[in-house]
Amino acid sequence: MMATAVSELISTKINPNVLPHLHIWEWHIPLYLFLGGLAGGLLVITSIMIVMKRQFSIGPQDVGNGCPCLALRIGSVLSPTLLGIGMLFLFLDLAHPLYVWAFYTTIQPTSPMSAGSWILIAFFPLAILQAMLVNRGQLRKIKIKPISKVIDWTEKHMTIVALTNAHIGVGIGIYTGILLSFFSARPLWSSSILGMLFLVSGISSAAALMLLFAPKKEKPVYSMIDANALWIELMTVGLFVLGGLTGSANSHGAMMHLITGDTNLLGISYMFWFWGIFVIAGLFVPLIVEFLEAAGVHIKFPNLAPVMVLCGGLILRFLIVFAGQSYHTFM
Amino acid sequence: MVIDTRVCVGCSACVYACKSENGIPEGYCRDWVVQETKGIFPKLTMENRSERCQHCDNAPCVTYCPTRASHYAEDGTVQINRSRCTGCKACMAACPYDARYVHPEGFVDKCSLCQHRTEKGMKTACVSICPTGSLNLVDFNDPKQEAQQLMNGKLVYRQKEHAGTEPSLYWISASNKPGA
Repeated sequence: MMATAVSELISTKINPNVLPHLHIWEWHIPLYLFLGGLAGGLLVITSIMIVMKRQFSIGPQDVGNGCPCLALRIGSVLSPTLLGIGMLFLFLDLAHPLYVWAFYTTIQPTSPMSAGSWILIAFFPLAILQAMLVNRGQLRKIKIKPISKVIDWTEKHMTIVALTNAHIGVGIGIYTGILLSFFSARPLWSSSILGMLFLVSGISSAAALMLLFAPKKEKPVYSMIDANALWIELMTVGLFVLGGLTGSANSHGAMMHLITGDTNLLGISYMFWFWGIFVIAGLFVPLIVEFLEAAGVHIKFPNLAPVMVLCGGLILRFLIVFAGQSYHTFM
Repeated sequence: MVIDTRVCVGCSACVYACKSENGIPEGYCRDWVVQETKGIFPKLTMENRSERCQHCDNAPCVTYCPTRASHYAEDGTVQINRSRCTGCKACMAACPYDARYVHPEGFVDKCSLCQHRTEKGMKTACVSICPTGSLNLVDFNDPKQEAQQLMNGKLVYRQKEHAGTEPSLYWISASNKPGA
């Protein structure tokens, strides 16, 4: 009988955040990444709607009275609101929240977190201006002079504000992925396609959210946006998985840990969460349903598919953050 | 630092000296002892080694720190400015050596190579206590080339060198022992 090679490591290291595996980021960070992606996605969709209003024929056409499109109005307000809530979770995750000011006393070009903290600040003024613009009908009734002046200014520069916002939205969406993908010490996260995956997932989740509160006549537009985003997301997930599987031993092992892993999350293995709940229930099934809906087929429970997409987006962030930490460091 | 694993007996004196010198809270450590056994029975080799922050020349913790709390000190070591550390833990995710922990007082902590001692010309607590002379604090720019003298003619390695971090800790392998 051939003797087996021994490789045994005994360590006296006891640090609780590091052992038995890294677990520095709990529920706050996945939730922040989800809300950040959603806010970015909402900003992208609403900005493009404004810029391309003629093509969609549901944009803010009634200049002076506010945007007639309910989903666009709500989406524009929700975008900065959700990001604000997400940032609250990020703030709560800090071990020393009172030192948060330190983020804004320096610009560290090599640190995605530093770049992100500045992008987050840049996000709010223009996103709020845009939300005011599309809700100008209601805001003008309040008759507060400075608000009216701000709305007037934004109205004059509507296209440039919306175009800038579309880019900031893309930046936020990508940032939520890049935040993780820059960590080359964590093999699952160390994938450049993660930024694209989180961006597309943010857009699909945002379209699903808008679909939930859009009036019946507006729904087909958001179904079509969501179905297209889901299709691209499905392809991107495929590339992310393939990239991991065909990569180095580190990347391969980390990807296998995610897609075939028996590590439990709420009593369910990573494998089932990934394939069963995220890919099939959160992507594939709603993709089919929303393509049918956009094609005019009557769907009995129209809110079910968007809710599945939103759950899928949330689960994706939890899975990536948790599985990336529970796999060993770069070897 | 040059660590001679041939003479390390894994006594953990370095760990306790560090805890005492730096007031490390209970349940945490800045350095730790690893015992690695490998090979095929009966030809097995065992290496004891005292591990800590590698004070990398290309430290990912410094690269990813958003507030400049993690920084290179003038002596080339990697240090943490507690008054700028938000505890975002990006440095912990970035470190391929898992050398850091979150201090219960709300900042990230790790081996400082006893900067408060070395700036007074003293040795680090772990080096002073090591009973077998396994731990050697050396200046790699020293014209006397103490480090080179320690390592010459021996199998020396650095941990996860392929990570591109340029770690400053060198390990004289236990496989240099006669009969190993």
